[in-house]
Amino acid sequence: MIIKGGIVYDPANGIFGEEMDLFVDKGRMVEQAKGEEIDAHGLLVMPGGVDAHSHIAGKKVNTGRIMRPDDSRLGTEPRTGTCRPSTGYTVPNCYAIGYRYARMGYTTAFEAATPILEARHTHEELEEIPIIDKGALTLFGNNWQVMECIRNNDMDMLAAYMAWGLRSARGYGVKIVNPGGGEAWGFGGNVKGLDDPVPNFDVTPAEIIRGLAQANEMLRLPHSIHLHLNNLGKPGNYNTAIETLDLLKDIRPGRMRQVVHITHMQFSAYGGSSWRDFESKAPVIADYFNSHHHATMDMGQLLFGSATTMTADAPLEYGNARLTHNKWSNHDIELEESSGVVPMVYSRKMLVNAVQWAVGLELALLVADPWKILMTTDHPNGSPFVNYPEVISLLISKPKRDAEMALMHDQVQNRTSLSGIERELDWTDIVIMTRAAPARILGLQDKGHLGPGADADITIYNLMPEELDASQNHDLVKKALACAKYTIKGGAVVSKDGQILSTPPGRTFWVDAAVPQDDADRLMPELEEKFAKYYSVQLSNYAVQDAYLPHAQVIRAGLSVESLKEVA
Amino acid sequence: MRTIIMSPKKDFRISVEAEVISPDRLALLDIDQIKKLAVWQGNRQHILSDLFTVESDDSTATAGDTTVRLTGDFSKVKRIGEGMTAGVIEVQGSAGMHAGNNMSGGLLSIAENADDWLAREMRGGKVVVMGDAGNYVGAGYRGEKCGMRGGEIEVSGSVGAYLGEHICGGSIRIGGNAGDFAGAANQGGTIFIEGCSYLPGAEMSKGTITVKGTAKVLPSFQKMEVVQIDGQAYQKYAGDLVDNGKGELLVGSVRMV
Amino acid sequence: MSEAKIIKDAICSFCGCLCDDINVEVDEGRVQRVRHACRLGSSKILGHGRIEHPMVRKDGRLVEASFQEAYDRSAQILLRANKPLLYGWASTSCEAAKKGILLAEEVGAVIDSTATVCHGPSVIGIEEKGLPGATLGQVKNRADTIVFWGCNPVEAHPRHSLRYSSNSVGRFTPQGREGRKIVVVDVRETRTARNADKFIRVNPGGDYEVISALRMLVKGKGDLLPQEVGGVLKADLAELADMLKAARFGALFFGLGITHSRGRYKNIDNALSLVAELNQHSKFVILPMRGHYNVGGIGQTLAWSSGYPMSVDLTRGKPYFNPGETSACDLLARRDVDAALIIAADAASNFPRSTVEALADIPVIQIDPYENPTTLLSDVVIPCAIAGVEVEGTAYRMDGLSLRLRKLVDSCLPSDEEILMGILGSVHRQRQMMANQGV
Repeated sequence: MIIKGGIVYDPANGIFGEEMDLFVDKGRMVEQAKGEEIDAHGLLVMPGGVDAHSHIAGKKVNTGRIMRPDDSRLGTEPRTGTCRPSTGYTVPNCYAIGYRYARMGYTTAFEAATPILEARHTHEELEEIPIIDKGALTLFGNNWQVMECIRNNDMDMLAAYMAWGLRSARGYGVKIVNPGGGEAWGFGGNVKGLDDPVPNFDVTPAEIIRGLAQANEMLRLPHSIHLHLNNLGKPGNYNTAIETLDLLKDIRPGRMRQVVHITHMQFSAYGGSSWRDFESKAPVIADYFNSHHHATMDMGQLLFGSATTMTADAPLEYGNARLTHNKWSNHDIELEESSGVVPMVYSRKMLVNAVQWAVGLELALLVADPWKILMTTDHPNGSPFVNYPEVISLLISKPKRDAEMALMHDQVQNRTSLSGIERELDWTDIVIMTRAAPARILGLQDKGHLGPGADADITIYNLMPEELDASQNHDLVKKALACAKYTIKGGAVVSKDGQILSTPPGRTFWVDAAVPQDDADRLMPELEEKFAKYYSVQLSNYAVQDAYLPHAQVIRAGLSVESLKEVA
Repeated sequence: MRTIIMSPKKDFRISVEAEVISPDRLALLDIDQIKKLAVWQGNRQHILSDLFTVESDDSTATAGDTTVRLTGDFSKVKRIGEGMTAGVIEVQGSAGMHAGNNMSGGLLSIAENADDWLAREMRGGKVVVMGDAGNYVGAGYRGEKCGMRGGEIEVSGSVGAYLGEHICGGSIRIGGNAGDFAGAANQGGTIFIEGCSYLPGAEMSKGTITVKGTAKVLPSFQKMEVVQIDGQAYQKYAGDLVDNGKGELLVGSVRMV
Repeated sequence: MSEAKIIKDAICSFCGCLCDDINVEVDEGRVQRVRHACRLGSSKILGHGRIEHPMVRKDGRLVEASFQEAYDRSAQILLRANKPLLYGWASTSCEAAKKGILLAEEVGAVIDSTATVCHGPSVIGIEEKGLPGATLGQVKNRADTIVFWGCNPVEAHPRHSLRYSSNSVGRFTPQGREGRKIVVVDVRETRTARNADKFIRVNPGGDYEVISALRMLVKGKGDLLPQEVGGVLKADLAELADMLKAARFGALFFGLGITHSRGRYKNIDNALSLVAELNQHSKFVILPMRGHYNVGGIGQTLAWSSGYPMSVDLTRGKPYFNPGETSACDLLARRDVDAALIIAADAASNFPRSTVEALADIPVIQIDPYENPTTLLSDVVIPCAIAGVEVEGTAYRMDGLSLRLRKLVDSCLPSDEEILMGILGSVHRQRQMMANQGV
């Protein structure tokens, strides 16, 4: 295939809006090729979108569907010759997830949080999602074995356990959510801060985070730890964010990347001491990111309208439900985690929501380096992913932001700095934040760029970047980004002008980390004891079997990859 | 004024979905266009004239000036009057499920009985049933906080269970009895039942439910004073206190079992 | 193949406990002995009389047929029907369910599971209030207070108590049964009640009021309550409420006693609210005691495929969900179905009489390992290999945890998944033929 004459943005390879041809052969980018020609003259061309944090598969996602027939009945599309039926808006069915990402020009999405014990379910759903490539991050932050290793300061066994856990869950990376709090929630409690000891386990959240970060780097995993901070959603929690980031400053990375990725930072950038004096501390967070280089984050942008909050931060969800008087699902997972699901509606006229909306945008606009901050909505917590074009149009257009703020609660001006920010992101920034950076942060070498050897995941949008004043015509931008002219996945056109043309299965990436045999051997008796005494299933039935990953893509780590060498 | 008359051409064994039978949908179409509208019977799509005879003069009118008269057995025809905003539908016999779904104006009258989910999620307008109606009269959709938000429903006969579940506004009047859990999760609607009911107003937070006949009352309702309305004495209750509800329940005669 | 071997950690495919510690002795291609399973599970794994060949009804009698004939006849029945019902699914794997959903989409059918006669009302309750739950291992490791409401696990889920609940031992529950308070609420004193610390007898149909009264007591509004509610003395309810509020970790298990007594889904709705409110005082979870081993699985599979866990009407090409309208029992009671495929469920035994009469009047396809009353009504009977004994597959336990069923012995019979694919294949071919003929 040849894509002719597009205005190509491939920031990872130093291409910032150059008119050039792109060549595809056997599903990969190549220097030269023959074949079908796609005319992209003057049109915006970039790698396929990479969503590094989205709740798309697994028990809590399905619980969201089951408890929300009121949402499932929205967005219903009938089956066609190519497509199975679609349902749902904030909790779409598996087929809708694949089709809607593809229509928008996204070709890879990662499930944000999977408990090992229920990873089989996650993979069943991932396998049902058509077209996109995927992976799933594995939860470790409230795990009994993890906490015991850390209390005993046995980093080698911790690393062995993490490798074993990733293999059992066929997971891609290490996810940590409200570390320690999920275990405290097992008896209805929570942790209040980094140094608050976890009841019955004699470790603190700070120790859990540092331990997992160190072991993550010992294993040289492609991705860093992926962290949902303690005290998420609480006024004044920006302090926890800064403290946590400082905690990890001295960790040495095992690969050329950050040592921690903070997810949906918007929910952790709050000042004030209560909902009454609630305000944004995004500038403080942004300053930190501007002056430190060991961390990255994603926005977690909130948009007005309907959402479904679903997270492993179970105490937070219980709080949400009580506050909003809403239906509430909770699911605690033995020895491992907790989770909750609560429908939400965010409103312009509610000051708190208006401030939250501003915070996400402030973060993206105040951080100077777009490689450090990804564009997400923590789907479906902040908003469904189909609304990404709305977020982008806000980032590229000050007039749009001003028009939106005029509709909001009038106090929002006093609680955030957004109205004073003139910056408008350009296409380079956007492509970095939605393609190049997520791929690099996750450690996906063949994604997010268009250099030779990369996966031929390409999006062509119906926009002429050299002629269009994006800021003024933000509505055209939004419309064009919602419906790619062409979405190409692995060299095949899967979507054209919003119509799904083909539904090839995507691949599921997972990480197999090799550890010293001695450590693996020492680990087994501990695990065997846990299964014999505490788990409600047998060890031999625990791990995800091959049958659940017919399209696996294994990435090696640990002893299988070389360590970084220090350069004098 | 335009009148469109329809009648089934045969007995329907499998139910028919005919949400096109609504003044809004029909008013601006000529009779040939009407005959070609899509209706469904199970997984088979038909055109209206496959299943129904259609008579009408050839004028078009606004929805508000249109009367649709349904003669014959419509008891297995669902979604009559769905979404209507104006005009009149006269069902001369019985109507199938979901008659008047989502309607926001106009008049739907049913000479005999209505099936389940009469006027589900109604927003406005008026529904009149001379016979009985089924379960979920004026109720909502599964999982939604709010069901009926406005309009008036009158049923001369009796109705089944879950009358007005999740009602947020509007009024319902029942000439006969209502089944279990009438007015459950009432958030601001008005329900009047001439006859009897069982455990009305469960989880009610606002609104008024009156049962002129006998009702068993939940233990989570607080007995208040006796009130006189139109020469009839009612025991007033406040509830549902399981969730600090501020609804009003009036019962003519309280039963213990 | 004919060497004796012991298969460890097999998963029992009978009830919602999905016990996965079963040891099975296999010799000469057959299951010889089963260890650790209860008598219900053992009986299933050991096996009994099976249907051996497909059958098709000709001139009123069921005669032996080939699999292809059975597939073709099934496809014909489904294609002719205006509103076919694909029902059952609770005792087969998710892999079969996936094909069933595809078939329902292809022919334009309604697909529903046995939840319709079981925990369907629980699903509706969850749609109102959510489900504050946990995995069974949380109960084992933490629960000091357990309530069984409207269920009788001693008889229906025999190993539940030892593996997951009353008699289980865990990290924070080293004393097992002695460290726990067990409460049974039911209309009669069941065997489970006899082993409980407290038994509360409720009037039949009185559960909703009793739950409302408990909610009032939990909120400290007990003064407003009458002296007796639903056949229970207020004093007993007050004692129960205090016990629940004082729990370190409470678990409420419930079953058909409240899903199918007067109130139905409102009972569950109210119980879910009670548990949510208890969380203001103590840690509390609620779990449905699911009957069939994979009714959870068809629910999960249907939900991720269509957005809804049961009663999905696909006749118009897009999923429509409205239990009471799209549920199997209601459709049959109204005779609003003109063909049925019944798989992994014995509808004729478990449905109300009027619906069984409706089944007798329409063409029925049965896919099942065993002859049962549904066989008598069927026009096509297709025997299958048993998931968990002869076929691998995925099943979901009552708490939503999935496990992979093992294959213990070989079988000549196709799996449910293969049978459904056979029918799908025939549907495609027949459709193609009709298209070629310009039909």
